[in-house]
Amino acid sequence: MLINRIFSGNDAVYGLTVQAVDNAVVQYGSDKAVGFPNTAYCLPCYYAVTGVKVKTLGELKEALGVVKTLMTREHALDDALMSGVATALCAEFIEALKYLDGALPYEEPCYGHLADSIIREMGVPLVTGDIPGVAVILGSAPTSKEGVDLIKSYQAQGILVTLVGGIIDQAQELGLKMGYNLRIVPLGKDVTSVIHVVSVALRAALIFGNVTPGDAGSLITYTAERVPAFVNAFKPVDDVILAAGAGAIKLGFPVISNETENIAEVPGALIPCPEVENFNKVSLEARNIKIKIKNIDIPVAFASAFEGEIIRRPDMQVEFDGSRVDCAELVQTRPMEEVEDHKIELIGPDIDAFEIGSKQSIAYVVEVAGKKMQSDFEPVIERKFHNYINCIEGVYHTGQRDMLRIRISKDAYDAGFRARHIGEVLYAQVKNEFEAVVDKCQVKIYTEPAECTKIRHELAIPAFDKRDARLETLTDESVDVYYSCILCQAFSPSHVCVVTPERLGLCGAVSWLDAKATNELDPAGPCQIITKERPVDEEIGAYEDVDEAVQKYSQGALEHVTLYSIMQDPMTSCGCFECICGIEPFSNGVVIANREYGGMTPLGMTFPEMASMTGGGVQTPGFMGHGKHFIASKKFMKAEGGIQRIVWMPKELKETVAERLNKTAKELYGIDNFTDMVGDETVASDPETLVAFLTEHNHPALSMEPMM
Amino acid sequence: MALNGIQIFKLTPKKNCKECGCPTCMAFSMKVAQGAMDISACPHMSEEALASLSEATAPPMKTIKIGAGAEEFTLGGETVLFRHEKTFVSKTRYAVALCTDMDDAAVDAKLAEIPAVDYERIGERMYAELVYVNCGEGADAAKYTELVKKAAGLGRTLVLGCSDPEIAKAAIEVCKDSKPVLNGADASNYEAMSAVATAAGVVLGVSGKDLNELYDTVAALEKLGNKNLVLDVTGGDIKATFANAVQVRRAALKDQDRTFGYPSIVNTVKVAKGDKHLQAALASLFTMKYGSIIVMEQMTYAEALPLYGLRQNVFTDPQKPMKVEPGIYPINGGVEDSLVLVTVDFALTYFVVSGELERSGVPLNLAICDAGGLSVLTSWAAGKFSGSSIAKFIQEQVEPKVSCRKLVIPGKVAVLKGDIESKLPGWEVIVGPREAVQLVKFLKDM
Amino acid sequence: MPFNQKPQKFNAKINTVTIGSGDKTVTLGGDSSFPFYTFDSESENSPKVGVEISDMGLEGASEGIKAYYEGAVTMADIAKKAAAMEGADFLALVLEGGDPNGADKSVEELIAVVKEVADAVDCPLVVEGCKNVEKDAELLPKVAEVLQGRNVLIMSEKEENYKAIGAAAGLAYNQIVGAESAVDINLAKQLNVVTSQLGVNAQKIVMNIGSAAVGYGYEYVVSTMDRIKGAALSQNDNMLQMPIITPVASETWGVKEAMASEADMPEWGPQDERGIDMEIVTAAADLAAGSDAVILRHPQSVATISKMIKALV
Repeated sequence: MLINRIFSGNDAVYGLTVQAVDNAVVQYGSDKAVGFPNTAYCLPCYYAVTGVKVKTLGELKEALGVVKTLMTREHALDDALMSGVATALCAEFIEALKYLDGALPYEEPCYGHLADSIIREMGVPLVTGDIPGVAVILGSAPTSKEGVDLIKSYQAQGILVTLVGGIIDQAQELGLKMGYNLRIVPLGKDVTSVIHVVSVALRAALIFGNVTPGDAGSLITYTAERVPAFVNAFKPVDDVILAAGAGAIKLGFPVISNETENIAEVPGALIPCPEVENFNKVSLEARNIKIKIKNIDIPVAFASAFEGEIIRRPDMQVEFDGSRVDCAELVQTRPMEEVEDHKIELIGPDIDAFEIGSKQSIAYVVEVAGKKMQSDFEPVIERKFHNYINCIEGVYHTGQRDMLRIRISKDAYDAGFRARHIGEVLYAQVKNEFEAVVDKCQVKIYTEPAECTKIRHELAIPAFDKRDARLETLTDESVDVYYSCILCQAFSPSHVCVVTPERLGLCGAVSWLDAKATNELDPAGPCQIITKERPVDEEIGAYEDVDEAVQKYSQGALEHVTLYSIMQDPMTSCGCFECICGIEPFSNGVVIANREYGGMTPLGMTFPEMASMTGGGVQTPGFMGHGKHFIASKKFMKAEGGIQRIVWMPKELKETVAERLNKTAKELYGIDNFTDMVGDETVASDPETLVAFLTEHNHPALSMEPMM
Repeated sequence: MALNGIQIFKLTPKKNCKECGCPTCMAFSMKVAQGAMDISACPHMSEEALASLSEATAPPMKTIKIGAGAEEFTLGGETVLFRHEKTFVSKTRYAVALCTDMDDAAVDAKLAEIPAVDYERIGERMYAELVYVNCGEGADAAKYTELVKKAAGLGRTLVLGCSDPEIAKAAIEVCKDSKPVLNGADASNYEAMSAVATAAGVVLGVSGKDLNELYDTVAALEKLGNKNLVLDVTGGDIKATFANAVQVRRAALKDQDRTFGYPSIVNTVKVAKGDKHLQAALASLFTMKYGSIIVMEQMTYAEALPLYGLRQNVFTDPQKPMKVEPGIYPINGGVEDSLVLVTVDFALTYFVVSGELERSGVPLNLAICDAGGLSVLTSWAAGKFSGSSIAKFIQEQVEPKVSCRKLVIPGKVAVLKGDIESKLPGWEVIVGPREAVQLVKFLKDM
Repeated sequence: MPFNQKPQKFNAKINTVTIGSGDKTVTLGGDSSFPFYTFDSESENSPKVGVEISDMGLEGASEGIKAYYEGAVTMADIAKKAAAMEGADFLALVLEGGDPNGADKSVEELIAVVKEVADAVDCPLVVEGCKNVEKDAELLPKVAEVLQGRNVLIMSEKEENYKAIGAAAGLAYNQIVGAESAVDINLAKQLNVVTSQLGVNAQKIVMNIGSAAVGYGYEYVVSTMDRIKGAALSQNDNMLQMPIITPVASETWGVKEAMASEADMPEWGPQDERGIDMEIVTAAADLAAGSDAVILRHPQSVATISKMIKALV
């Protein structure tokens, strides 16, 4: 039914165009020049689609024949959409005829054809996102006020609004100021004048996209991906408008309409929306347009300069303290339809209700939705809350998860700071910094103690547990890709970290999930995907893919890197390592020293001495930098036999890792209290004493295969 | 192919006798692998192990010492072609040229000019370390020796440019104790020149009309047993000189061709022909690319300030940032009650920050904290630029000398504000801008 | 046994980018060896020297520079004299007066200067912004617009404003884009990647990888350039094969060695000589490390560096 209507609309327009062109030929002759002013692209739409320039009425007549070939009549969606394109081209021809003989067919406030220079000028803010989208509003709104409100809603978001048909009269009626500088461009009152905005989109593809005229495939890809336009068509939508709409859809521009009669939804393309007040939201979502938040709507300042501010007890209006009462902060991924962007809800009393200086409960849940959002990013986003809230003037935040503490100063309160403003800050920062993955975001702030208890115990803690469990089960084998990290190359030029689930960056700061999120958020940034499809030797963690990546990101300085060996092509170190392990030949094991340890190790080297030969991106077999967390990993020098090679660690480090290390030792080798067998500075700082100690404790390394 | 520490360790006696000075054989092996110690320091190596190791661990480029006492300098010993691969170890040394062709007045003027440039920059003394004394055509032994004597009076290490063995012999007699370089051997005279140099115990400079001749002459000298050489790579013109300097160094380090494994001399006087600005440009070019000794007509402050700055930068360890001395640096005539700004001792930070502060024209006290020579964020992350370390530094170093109690901290460590305030009673802590370029405006707005 | 010469051959080369229109153009890049390693492969195209002038006229210029421009009153006069300098290959106009923390000239005012300069000379043009990223994002697209057809190099495109400047210069008005990063190979590469992703042809990008005066953290400049050239040639990394342009003058004339007057530092000798050598030594080092073009101020520096380049290729 929809398709037939498009065909019939297309046929009607084509008929009118043939007639108009024929009349013009009769009146002016075939050689009469035809074209739009101030463009180098003669009949821009037709030229962009076919690669052929039309300069005379005779050529226009020929072009109509070409258009006819697009009008196939198979009952299929694509035929319908091509007929939409044909309709658009017909509209261009009709409009072109209006400009014959240098006529000026449009007068204030209408623009009609737009010059190339406007496109060049407009292209820049479109690329930078300063103009986040282009709305094409067509027809008459149910009431003038609804129409103007819709225009203004787009204008406030920086979106360029083009108007066609009755909406122009409605806007004038209410005295709306219009013009390119105000980002409201009335095109014309005939429906064919819509072609002038299509012409802008297609010329943008030629100018900004380097699309070759006639390469319709690239043209459509460009408009679909790079021109954030959409159509709002008011009812009644007749066959002609529907046919024109099909043309828009072909270019990737969704059509949103309040028409409900004789129309069917085409998901993502033709979207019925009965209420005009919802057009804005539905349109932005359909076209995936994200509005940048420039100012955070809070009564106090927001800047990193306030990050270090401390609110003392006497200056404090109220305190939320997770160590005393139930509190929680949490990011939750939700389905698109469950999130209303920028909705901030306060559940419970506001700060006014609290006694000055009192301790209260708070729980805030930031619910996000996005096509590219993954629940693995939740903790990455959540970890930024500390920084966000601390940047608010007069607000102080420490801790995380359900152990957070927030203080709000009297000054901030007096300036008007209330609970919802925390939501405003979280909303704005999450949307801005995680734009790549978060499409929509809403914040729920709970201050009702019973609610907070519920959120904490029924929502937050289970979520944290689930996350921790996921981290536990995340193994190198369970993932398809690893990530490179070259954040440190500024001072260690040839170093490349290969970050895997079981081996976080040697600085201890970049986990596999962090690297994954960094990659999603900044695809050209320091963390890149490394595939692991071509294993050479999985036992030592050698992959052709890893070698290739390491070669590439070290600019050829490194050829091979293994993930699990410290003897054969060990991973390099930048110098940020938390720890270094080094081979101790007399006990047939390795010694680990951490950065904080200032004394001598049984290797005869201090941490700085070991660091001097391990850092700087050089491979030093027998020595390797790593994070503290890696010590208890099952992958720790797996190629050489794993953690049972550890013979010595500074006492403090040993205590830090004991629990996890003992667990791994028990699991892998059935050894209880493994760390008791491991020496430290209180028992030995030379190899002889160490070996004696290890012998006494029957350390497994002594009876293992020689390391070298 | 250089050996790694593990490979060297396997050849050691594994006794941990500590006689080499290292606590363990492992530590010793790692140091040898790094080139920090010589394998011969181990008294217990077997002959066989020693032989195989000395060959494998011998550096591709020899380290040559010239001069004596405080004026002794090390040339060569480089292991890499680019400084990011590993540190360049031996700085380029600049020589100011004298020649027998100059009249007495010119010589005296030059001799007065040379010591005028002598200053310190980030802990390093900057001056023309060498004087090149050239024996012009037609000069006899007496005239040349006279000039050498005069030059030696400066107390700088000399490079004698003389290719006549007899004249050289006479001249070297008057200065051999200060270990000059005798630059003048070539294909025609190398035996005699080598004899003079060897007898005097000095380094011999060798040149050739092209790289092939130079190569053959070096090989011949090595055959005579003289491996105490520097190679004068100066060619007929600038292009040839650059080609020689690069190819000699590259052959030694990249292709492991030990015949060219010696330091170089580049004589810009010969190729820049009196154009002092071009000489400055060439001195820069050859400081970058492989000149061990660069000879110039003059080294006034105009040349010295940029060249020594360049050299100081190029010959730094890429992993050990340059540091400035912690302390209070008054800027624009900062006095006791001038505002205090604190930052780290990373040289680059200091230069950028002090430059901007100077531009502001406001009298200030810049307090440089010991932060291990790291940048603001790096040292903060490493815990070396923390609330406590800043507070301690301010209390110990600044409070006794400065009466102002306003402290500006870098914007990048705004997070430290509260911490510092709680540890520094009486001080107002102000968060400054994140970038140095914003300082002028920041101070103007204050 | 003669010396066994082993030339280092690369199967990659630096892109060639031509600036300017009509008869007067200048081409940067094109070599497939390290700088001046003509013994490895002949240089296809020697490095170029630009002369820097500022919208602020001769304010703050050294005595020697002022002497050279004596009699020049308008920006057009200055531009003509600059273009006529011995050894000059192109003209670089710095719009430093646009800095909101400085003279804070309006965009219109600066565009008038750009037009005046562009109309006065027909040599290839390079335009640098005022270093303030917001102002540059507003200013430089306008510059690209008014200079349509001149095929100029619009510098100062940074990570913060690459979309505005890259789209205007590289797409809308078909100029050359000068991508500026802060002395780090990965930042340089990342900016080239995102600029290319905007749709700017990689063959129309020139890099300014950041600069410093010698003695002022210059080791980072050396290593960054060494590594970029290495990656471009030996790794054939096409996101690092853009030619490098280095504004030298703006760094060297701002340091103490060049700014301190002879009255303040009598032992240092004439101020102009120090400024010249600071500029010459820095430029020579930049060229040795990999710059395909340097931007200088003093006529003596321009002549000397140009002479050195000619002697080396």
